[in-house]
Amino acid sequence: MSENARLKFYCDEHRCISCDGCSVACAEAHELPAGINRRKVITMNEGILGLEYSLSIACMHCTDAPCEQVCPTDCFYIREDGIVLHDKEKCIGCAYCLYACPFGAPQFPSDGAFGIKGVMDKCTMCAGGPEETNSHKEREMYGQNRISEGKVPVCAAMCSTKALLVGDSAEISDIYRERVLSVGHGVKTQPYGWSTAYGSKI
Amino acid sequence: MKSKYIIIALLALSSLAFGASESVVWSDNLIDNILGYDKKGSLHLGQYFTILQSTYFKPLFLGVLFGVPAVFLLHYMVIGPMIFSHDRKKIYVFTLFHRVIHAIAGVSFILLIPTGLIMMFASTFGGGEFVRVCKEIHAISTLLFIVSIVPMFFMWLRWMFIHLDDIKWLMIVGGYLNKDKKPVPAGRFNAGQKTWYWLATLGGFIMIGTGAAMYFQDIRLDILASNHISQIDFLRASAIVHNALGLAVVALFFTHVYMAVFAIKGAIHSMIDGHKEEEEVEILHSSYYRELKEKGEV
Repeated sequence: MSENARLKFYCDEHRCISCDGCSVACAEAHELPAGINRRKVITMNEGILGLEYSLSIACMHCTDAPCEQVCPTDCFYIREDGIVLHDKEKCIGCAYCLYACPFGAPQFPSDGAFGIKGVMDKCTMCAGGPEETNSHKEREMYGQNRISEGKVPVCAAMCSTKALLVGDSAEISDIYRERVLSVGHGVKTQPYGWSTAYGSKI
Repeated sequence: MKSKYIIIALLALSSLAFGASESVVWSDNLIDNILGYDKKGSLHLGQYFTILQSTYFKPLFLGVLFGVPAVFLLHYMVIGPMIFSHDRKKIYVFTLFHRVIHAIAGVSFILLIPTGLIMMFASTFGGGEFVRVCKEIHAISTLLFIVSIVPMFFMWLRWMFIHLDDIKWLMIVGGYLNKDKKPVPAGRFNAGQKTWYWLATLGGFIMIGTGAAMYFQDIRLDILASNHISQIDFLRASAIVHNALGLAVVALFFTHVYMAVFAIKGAIHSMIDGHKEEEEVEILHSSYYRELKEKGEV
């Protein structure tokens, strides 16, 4: 990872099979309450032949994050590696971040009393929050901090088709470019046989 | 028979509950919300909201918060307050009902405006529990506002329509630019009071609607879906309208308080005991005074 790395998610729409594994893994790993979907799989152009594709979306950890710009409490902070996090103790649950977000990422759990929305919850790229790293409080409020343990965010780690990529944006685009360029290459038209296994000589 | 109705009622209620559990923001509607962000044909409200909220609203509110009182301080020092004789007769202008409704509205404004401003400048107050409590007070005091605004709208409506006097009043800025005791063209309510009335009632209804939309957030409104307006776009519009109208409400509220408390000495008593000084009515509401004279009530 280079020094100027900015961590990003990218979902390869040619690979996503809409299995919802990422969102289930996310909800399980962070023990999210029902109704909170930090990550969600959506299907675009549903039912239109040839145009239909699925994507996994969550907080995209924008470089110029609009949520951070509109927040009246200034509870957002963008880490040096580009992860956009927020302080739930400052958040007042006004939902302005939701209005600014192009992806509908901010979530608002019901606070209990009269079903009124509580403070905002969103994808942390498995990097926790402003509390002490890997403390009980951080885990309770923000979920697992896998980044601090050197692990990949759980959604991308378990993506069965490796559609969901996460990492330095430059590397992610390299991987995607390679995938695009190699479409149709190295495809076997004949079944594997003797020659592949042992060579043409007997 | 009775149990049948109870079951029907329960079914109806449960369908409501299920209807509410399907989110308008995050369920299948999420795609509409995302596509509606800045695509061709959308209202582009995501972009506008972000720009307005990140760069314009705070300075504008700061300007109103300090600019309006500064102008009035200048007015008070340069021109000074209007002082009317308290020796002449008093004219009964506001009934007990008017005063009670006005007092409820007054209390709701005193709660709504500071809590609203605290939310706007939440970062200055450090956010967190204090601002969250203010947010709840802002929501709860809306109930007081609703209780007062409906009767207020109807009780003064018939005097609030535009009149030729209002244009004349606006031309001389209500006679506040000098201390001459020349009769000012105005009926029972002058153009300034009428503006405040329409802003507080019609504007108030819009404030209540947009505020409730933002507070409850995930309420399904079929009228939006049938007009292809996504829920988040509706919330963005609500926030923009609520803040823009809020600017006007804060500015006119300060004006209203300045007029009642400082600019016209003793004017506030008309909303406490219902009586205005005869000279005050004669000068500031000259058309109304003439009307009373014709009727022989003064």
